Amino acid sequence: MLLLGVLVLPVHVQAQLFKQLNPLQTGITFSNDIDETESLNVLAYEYFFNGAGVAVGDFNNDGLNDIFFTANMKANRLYINQGKLTFKDVTLEAGEGLTGREGGWKTGVSLADVNGDGWLDIYVCYSGKVNDGTRRNQLFINETGSKGNPLRFVERAKEYRLDDPGYNTQATFFDYDKDGDLDVFLLHHNIKKYDNMELARLHEETDELAGNRLLENVKGKFINATQRVGIHQYPLTFGLGVAVADVNLDGWPDLYVTNDYNEPDYLYINQKNGTFRDETETAFRHLAQFSMGVDIADFNNDGLPDVMSLDMLPEDNRRQKLLQLQENYESFELMQQQGLQRQYMRNMLQLNNGDGTFSEIAQAAGVAHTDWSWAPLLADFDNDGYKDLFITNGYLRDYTNKDFLRYWGDYKIRKAIDREPVQLMDLVRAMPSTKIPNYIFSNNHDLTFTNRQREWGLTAPTISSGAACADLDNDGDLDLIINNINDPAFVYQNMAREQTRNTYLQFKLLPANVNKQGIGTQVTVYTGTQRQYQEVSPVRGYLSTQPVTLHFGLNTTPMADSVRIRWPDLSVQILTRVQANQLLVVEQTTTSQTGIQPVVQAAKPVFVNVQPVVSYTHTATSENDFKRQPLMLWMYSQTGPILAKGDVNRDGLEDIFVSGNQAKKGGIWTQQPDHSFRPAESGGIGDETGSATAAAVFFDANGDGFDDLYVAKGGYALFEPQTPALQDSLYLNDGKGNLRPSVNPLPNLSGSSKSCVRPADYDGDGDLDLFVGGRVVPGRYPEAPQSYLLQNVGKGQFRVMPTPFSTVGMVTDAQWADLDADNRPELLLCGEFMPIKVYQYTKNGFIDKTAAFFPEADNGFWQSLTVTDLNGDGRNDLIAGNLGINSQLRFSRKEPAELYYADVDNNGSIDPFFCFYVQGVSYPFVSRDELNEQMYAMRKRFGFYKDYADATLNKILTPDELKRTKKLTVTEGKTTVFLNVDGRFKQQTLPIQAQLAPVTQILTEDFNADGHADLLLLGNKSDNRLKIGSIDANYGCLLVGNGTGSFTYVSQSQAGLSVRGDVKSVVQVRVGQTNYLLIGAFGQPIQTYKTGN
Amino acid sequence: MKRFLFLWLFLWLTMPAQATQPDLRARVQPTIFAVTMVMIHDVVNPPAATRFYAYCLLGAHEIVAQHERNVVSPASLIRSFKPLKLEAGKPYDYQVAALYCILETARLMLPSGSMLADEQAKLLAELRKIGVGETTLAQSVKVAQGVARQVMVFAAADKYNQLSTRLRYRPTKADGYWYPTPPGYIEAIEPHWRIIRPMLLDSCGQFKPLPPAPFSKDTSSAFHKLAQEVYQTSKSLTSEQRLIASYWDCNPFAINTSGHMSIGFKKISPGGHWINITSLAANKAKLSFSESINVHSLVAMTLMDAFISCWDEKYRSNRIRPETAINRSIDPRWTPLLQTPPFPEYTSGHSVISSAVAEVLTYLLGSAFGFNDTTETIFELPERTFTSFRQAAEEASLSRLYGGIHYRDAIENGQAQGKAIGGFVIDRFRKVGVKPVF
Repeated sequence: MLLLGVLVLPVHVQAQLFKQLNPLQTGITFSNDIDETESLNVLAYEYFFNGAGVAVGDFNNDGLNDIFFTANMKANRLYINQGKLTFKDVTLEAGEGLTGREGGWKTGVSLADVNGDGWLDIYVCYSGKVNDGTRRNQLFINETGSKGNPLRFVERAKEYRLDDPGYNTQATFFDYDKDGDLDVFLLHHNIKKYDNMELARLHEETDELAGNRLLENVKGKFINATQRVGIHQYPLTFGLGVAVADVNLDGWPDLYVTNDYNEPDYLYINQKNGTFRDETETAFRHLAQFSMGVDIADFNNDGLPDVMSLDMLPEDNRRQKLLQLQENYESFELMQQQGLQRQYMRNMLQLNNGDGTFSEIAQAAGVAHTDWSWAPLLADFDNDGYKDLFITNGYLRDYTNKDFLRYWGDYKIRKAIDREPVQLMDLVRAMPSTKIPNYIFSNNHDLTFTNRQREWGLTAPTISSGAACADLDNDGDLDLIINNINDPAFVYQNMAREQTRNTYLQFKLLPANVNKQGIGTQVTVYTGTQRQYQEVSPVRGYLSTQPVTLHFGLNTTPMADSVRIRWPDLSVQILTRVQANQLLVVEQTTTSQTGIQPVVQAAKPVFVNVQPVVSYTHTATSENDFKRQPLMLWMYSQTGPILAKGDVNRDGLEDIFVSGNQAKKGGIWTQQPDHSFRPAESGGIGDETGSATAAAVFFDANGDGFDDLYVAKGGYALFEPQTPALQDSLYLNDGKGNLRPSVNPLPNLSGSSKSCVRPADYDGDGDLDLFVGGRVVPGRYPEAPQSYLLQNVGKGQFRVMPTPFSTVGMVTDAQWADLDADNRPELLLCGEFMPIKVYQYTKNGFIDKTAAFFPEADNGFWQSLTVTDLNGDGRNDLIAGNLGINSQLRFSRKEPAELYYADVDNNGSIDPFFCFYVQGVSYPFVSRDELNEQMYAMRKRFGFYKDYADATLNKILTPDELKRTKKLTVTEGKTTVFLNVDGRFKQQTLPIQAQLAPVTQILTEDFNADGHADLLLLGNKSDNRLKIGSIDANYGCLLVGNGTGSFTYVSQSQAGLSVRGDVKSVVQVRVGQTNYLLIGAFGQPIQTYKTGN
Repeated sequence: MKRFLFLWLFLWLTMPAQATQPDLRARVQPTIFAVTMVMIHDVVNPPAATRFYAYCLLGAHEIVAQHERNVVSPASLIRSFKPLKLEAGKPYDYQVAALYCILETARLMLPSGSMLADEQAKLLAELRKIGVGETTLAQSVKVAQGVARQVMVFAAADKYNQLSTRLRYRPTKADGYWYPTPPGYIEAIEPHWRIIRPMLLDSCGQFKPLPPAPFSKDTSSAFHKLAQEVYQTSKSLTSEQRLIASYWDCNPFAINTSGHMSIGFKKISPGGHWINITSLAANKAKLSFSESINVHSLVAMTLMDAFISCWDEKYRSNRIRPETAINRSIDPRWTPLLQTPPFPEYTSGHSVISSAVAEVLTYLLGSAFGFNDTTETIFELPERTFTSFRQAAEEASLSRLYGGIHYRDAIENGQAQGKAIGGFVIDRFRKVGVKPVF
């Protein structure tokens, strides 16, 4: 037994990466204690629980990192590193007033060598509802003088004109104008939230105390330059995070500033002329709503800095249901009207595309929900060469608890009935307090992260705020220092060096000017095929300052092939063959070359954005389908613009059909010999005043050799089945290029909203028949809509044929293709909550051959289907567009998402309940409020949010009710290639970039002219439930093939693609000798690209 | 709650002892108020609250009508209502049954109705204490349960459960139309309430008010003058006007925010306020148990119908609230004294329902019936004395101008709408023989 125990022990107690150190051992006993009193509490000051900061730097220049903590109400503390992870509190002896001003409310802390004397100074920010004098920031100038002297700090904020009395969150010192000295950006916040969203008009006002400020260092005095440099100073500022980084790699520092509440974050791009421009709207498709801390770093080693900003979404089902989530379409619309951008309550990871745009991928990356979060730090904790992610979180009171919102009022009334006074503190104390562990994720090297809270030893529940990562024991790995509310600060020793053979390199950079800390210096480390990029920018995360030493993990590499240093003056210094496992102190050499650009010559992009050949902007109609069926996952009314290609006048030039909108009919644009497109003058096609065009196709319906046009109606809005709103139309060509409604009407096809029309001669009788896919029955989601097989009975007359797939499901796309080499096309179908289906036509009609082609068919949210031979084996392969993995919805074969539906309460409306797994249990997506609105009887079943918070569907519905429901499932979300191998489809994984948004359009062609088929995936979907939010990370995903069916992602700048919006249609058109790509996205102009070669 | 219980006990102990047939009239108010408290807890919205009151009292009304010749049966008043079957195999106490029926109906109907199980148990315990026999109790409860079940069947046909099948309201973004208001931007409350079957009215549109002053941005327009009046009034409120505004606020859920936190402060609904005024008046008039139940039920029916009429107009005109109009054209930072309720402005609900119910109460109890209203004391507001129901209604209506949530035409035209409803209801009373009781 004993022996067994000894043997088993090492397996069980797997060493954790981080070891929490005992305060008694480190000497760090600091705790940010918050006393809540009747007069001083979260109701009196809204940012009462926002915590305080940590700053790490070498104050005494002894080569060891020292630590300074701010405390909101109590004394700041300065700890000197004595080596071996022991520290000494020298706050009192190091300088008068270092503990902070009595009665002040201290927030962030920044370290910088403000006067350029080589000694690190401390700048402490103040906020709070106190008088201006008590709120002025403090600058402690390090006057130690020479090594070995006792530390000495003297407060000199006023002399430097840094005694700012604003509501300061944090300051960051950087050289924005590249004059060699450090300027400062002061992050401010208003102390009163604005509930009225119409107040976005306050963007015309200036508030000196609440609005952010930028001060220029003019000979040691900090002069207000805010307005001059273009920094917003709105009263709506609620700054909680700031990071300086050169996001566009032009060598000049840019600024990212977060805002709490409705005000969007700001990305200020340095214009290199002493001014900044807010480019948030062009750079980002959506933002975190209640943005808090922010970090900017290149986490995927593509050399481009990415942005991580934090919000408040909890990870677990219970807290998601218990705490308030914004799902209010009216206030969301109001925000859009006010130009406040799309904002959602979850963490945002903005992947830098290198072309001025970012793709938000936090959900795909697995880092979107870490509860009420403050400090993100992207750093390589395990030294494997990729930056990991650490996040602090915690809020002393769960004051967004919905039971509290709804039922605390009862307490107040009870008190009044009992004639007892209501105490404010009763209210505060009534708010539950939930301590949860901080989060840490390891980088999977593929844009995603894995939660390592348990494996890496970060399981202690706390209320944490500011944090820093720094090598405290100079052993070559990054330790963690965390400021906690009402608990001693945490110091975690990183054991990576002890536990692994991973190597590292550290840099201390000394530029040739007074910016002695090297702020703004950029370092790229090359090892093999890999490069890592960092910039010296110490104020990152939240309220905190990181050391200026750059730390790179090198996996097990013994040396870096080369290191490229770009100094703040833009001169470049290259070091080659640098041995690992050392701290390199690099002084800027005078021989460094100025203005040298990266050696890598940018290859010519595959596509080039060009002037539109068809000048048409789609007009978005603002339907809200959730007003009709609130529990759908997304809308169905946004179908346009629809593009189709044909040659209506048989002049050999391709013409285009462009669908219309409620105000204007669609029409044909005829290509002219001079390469221009002219809209047809005769009457338009497809009246959309009370309907929506959802698909269109040119084909010869009547066999006269001229292209006719079939226009399918779809959408959702207020359309009713079996009304003209959903009846399709056929336009016949008069032989002169004019399209007129067919005199022989189509049969009744108005039973459903359509998605696609695919012509083929399925019965081999020489004329073209049609498959028309049914998308949804408006008002009856998710009942299976009618799909139609239209048999051409000659002369453009059609009849509906009975088929086994007439109610197969919510069909999104279909293709006719010969899969079994019998020269007869099979019908392939895909859709929502459906597998990809294959039907073969036989003399006995269509038979379902799905099982033969897909032995393990996965139901998906399939959106699109393309058939082509990808690997040159002469067989048709498939590419099927799906939802992707960049959403809250999670499902797999093991944990399928399920949609149960029935008219449970017998009131004539369908009650659909979508459920998916969260942390191993399948929960309904519906919130208690939504459920109560859907089925009034439910109001009686769950008295409180806490009762509902853990409910699974079998607790919500009775066994009888559940028995009456039908069920649809989904098990696969990925866009997938299926290679035809011996008559069976074999799933082939695509790069993760293919999974970052829904794929609605797929083009296959040899775009890069290397002889192999490539894929172009287009899509995005922004009309989702607010709880899902806009999925819009796709700017045109180009995947180049190698001829075997496997594909590689081409970066956006290499691809030359920056496609905006939800793509609804795409056509490739030949104009002269050039192939153009015409992309129709909802509410956008038609975007036009040509291939670059 | 404790205080009311105490009050009741006190009244009870001072009443002459009756071996049989105890008069439970003093129990009417606390019983109905127990239902009110659950509605406050559940944040029942104003129109829905009156529907609950009407049905909760309907069964009790039916029970007393079957025992008192001078109480006109609800079936004579409500077109689609048929007399209910009372399962009376053995002797039972109709007052006990009526009281129990109020709680039982509410228990079945209200979201947190289960909270009333305690009230039911308490009621039975009190009744035992004063000597009501077990058999009588059991029989009375049985009768009450039977009636409540039948009321539920009647209620189920009023299209309430159809509301959730209707298209959710989507505000028009054009100028002059209602849009959700800060701080909560709560979506429109009961946009389809017009489909609910009325009790006494022929249809929701029977008393369609005059149209509102048309929206205009022109500063010389009638609309702008109305908005200016709200704005200017808010700037020069007397303390008495402030008090009046708060007194009649009757917002079941005013959201207070502080940073990320929001708390709902709760008040009795407008209908609940008038139901309690009815209780206070019934006590003051020393109405018999049956008269009291009858008056409460008639008041509840009137309230329910007045809300249906008012809500029909609200979502016909969809008029912009003063807060939105003033923020957009006069003062972007202005906030009204009262929190703007989450539905369109025209006509003023409090004006319509207060005016309608004041007419009915005036008919039943007299035009000079003064009373002391203690309803708002649990919301930390003082008692208030009124010389008549109409005076109270007038004050309730005007309070909306002081509170900054209604324009004057919504108040005045709302009062006319309410008075017309009240007049119609009284005509019905006269036709079927409902007579004044005081």
